[in-house]
Amino acid sequence: MISRWFSQVALVVSLEMRKTFFSRRGLWVYLLALAPVLIWFMHSMIELNLRKERQALNAAHPVSTALLRSIERGATIDEVVAKVGEPFTKNEFHRPNISVAVYQYTDGDNVFAFQFRDDKLMNINERDRDTIPKDSLIFASVFQFFYLRLAIFFGCVGVFTNLFRGEMLDKSLHFYLLTPIRREILAIGKYFAGLIATVVIFCTSTFLQLAALSLHFTGSEISEYLAGPGWGHVASYLGVTAAACVGYGSIFLAAGLLFKNPIVPAATVLVWEGMNMFLPAALKKVSVIFYLQSLSPVVAPPDAKMPALQKLLVTAAEPVPAAWALLGLLTLTIVVLAVAARKARKLEINYSTD
Amino acid sequence: MAVYKRTYAAYQGSFTPAWSRFLILPRYSFARLWQSRFLVMFFMACFFYPLGCVGYIYLANNLSILSSFGIPEPLGNVLKVQPSLFLYFCWVQAAFTYLLTAFVGPSLISPDLVNGAMPLYLCRPFSRTEYIAGKMSVLVFLLSLVTWVPGLILFVIQASLAGWEWTKANLWIAGSLFIGFTVWILMLSLLALALSAWIKWKIAAGGLVLGVFFAGAGFGTALNSVMRTQYGTLLNLTEVMFTIWSKLFRWPEDTGISVEASWICVGVVCATCLWLLVRRVRAFEVVK
Repeated sequence: MISRWFSQVALVVSLEMRKTFFSRRGLWVYLLALAPVLIWFMHSMIELNLRKERQALNAAHPVSTALLRSIERGATIDEVVAKVGEPFTKNEFHRPNISVAVYQYTDGDNVFAFQFRDDKLMNINERDRDTIPKDSLIFASVFQFFYLRLAIFFGCVGVFTNLFRGEMLDKSLHFYLLTPIRREILAIGKYFAGLIATVVIFCTSTFLQLAALSLHFTGSEISEYLAGPGWGHVASYLGVTAAACVGYGSIFLAAGLLFKNPIVPAATVLVWEGMNMFLPAALKKVSVIFYLQSLSPVVAPPDAKMPALQKLLVTAAEPVPAAWALLGLLTLTIVVLAVAARKARKLEINYSTD
Repeated sequence: MAVYKRTYAAYQGSFTPAWSRFLILPRYSFARLWQSRFLVMFFMACFFYPLGCVGYIYLANNLSILSSFGIPEPLGNVLKVQPSLFLYFCWVQAAFTYLLTAFVGPSLISPDLVNGAMPLYLCRPFSRTEYIAGKMSVLVFLLSLVTWVPGLILFVIQASLAGWEWTKANLWIAGSLFIGFTVWILMLSLLALALSAWIKWKIAAGGLVLGVFFAGAGFGTALNSVMRTQYGTLLNLTEVMFTIWSKLFRWPEDTGISVEASWICVGVVCATCLWLLVRRVRAFEVVK
């Protein structure tokens, strides 16, 4: 009996794969998944160009990093020029009572801006080139605040609600319901089809994002990172992406079965997940994002532009260990899938109302 | 060939005046919309914040009530009606309006296109402009009821409690409320109608209305973080409108983008949506 159920699930999955991967209605999911790849690719291209530009400037105005860092506040323009030579850019503003000058140097990687006021060095602004730790923090923010909460969320809304509602719209669900398989098997088969599609699409996007991010780093920097925490981070990000598809997928499959208009539960879940950081610790656990954040390898810094009043309302909760987070997420998924399967058992079709 | 008796006779009754024909569409749309209990409940929920603001305005103008409850005077002095109250009123009501638009907007045009009803509308003395105006007036009327109408009522309440001097000095707030919300409603309505016209599945169109706001905001923030720019904020339509409202309410708020850029962004969104609508709303459809 169990082996027959497995073969029936596999059959439903194989029937659904074409529809979930290649349907015109689902093309926007690819766009949503690939949008962050485009951003990281553009970032890497810009960084590569900037580095080339800086190296060319450094070749024209050679100066070492140590020499640039040895300059201290209070030095005069002549002293600085005597020590490190002429800058590659010089901006001077003269007013009757004040004169300001900004001299810019580069060591090929970083840009140093020396700001003089009345011939005295007042400020040194060092713009370092991007490093892997710096970019991995930005990646963590984008991954947690955009990719998990919005891209994967809306992607799962599109794919999983379409599994049943899409069939209703195409007036083809009765073909499934007339076959001699249990409704629960149908629901689980459809869930796995959606899960495979979303995991493949979004995990590929995560991997491509990491690849695009690393384009502007040198081979030695990447090897060093991968020898350290690198592979662990890559595996964790891919795992968290798959876990997000598992969690959100179950919720939206159930929403597609329980509600005629799945936008209402989608909006509710979106608001609930969005306000997770303001919820008390006990309520945080009744969400998918809490477990996903616990599983993320790098803690994303809070939004710097968040108003002070909102910052006051943020409640901290200890992230749960990875094993507990996975267990929590799986429990949530199984409970929601059980509800969906129960609903599928009593499913009735009325095409005229859709 | 059989020849039957001709029974057709032209309509002899009075015509609806041409200027008000577009109002026929909202009449039927509203009759259908109010059948949804969820929509009625959500519509009622949109008035909770304005009611809270009424309470705040009343307390701010009647501090003696606070002292009778034992609240010390300095705390009472914190309660002041400033332009920021109306700015945050715009912010909160805007959140309700895009949820309302996501529920109402997609069902306006897509059913007509899916069921091939467009030729039935446009074969009558009813132009495409009137059709779009009629459909748009549903959203404009509904969204006005939860935005500038309660906003102006709040202003009138404050004016009646604070006196003529306050009203004279702050009359511009009423203008800002009306202009700010009108622009917001226009943009939301055009966006919802364009999506409703291009996406036949109304649930997907509703999801896309939410997606444009939420995913657009997220994508813009991601763009800002990665590219170290502020132009990504232009993809966040709520932030774009907040920049315009901040200027209208004379409130210094740095969103990272200029007011001019925000107006241009709103103009581009509206023009694009209008172009999409005009391309789609036609009396015929080419089926390949």
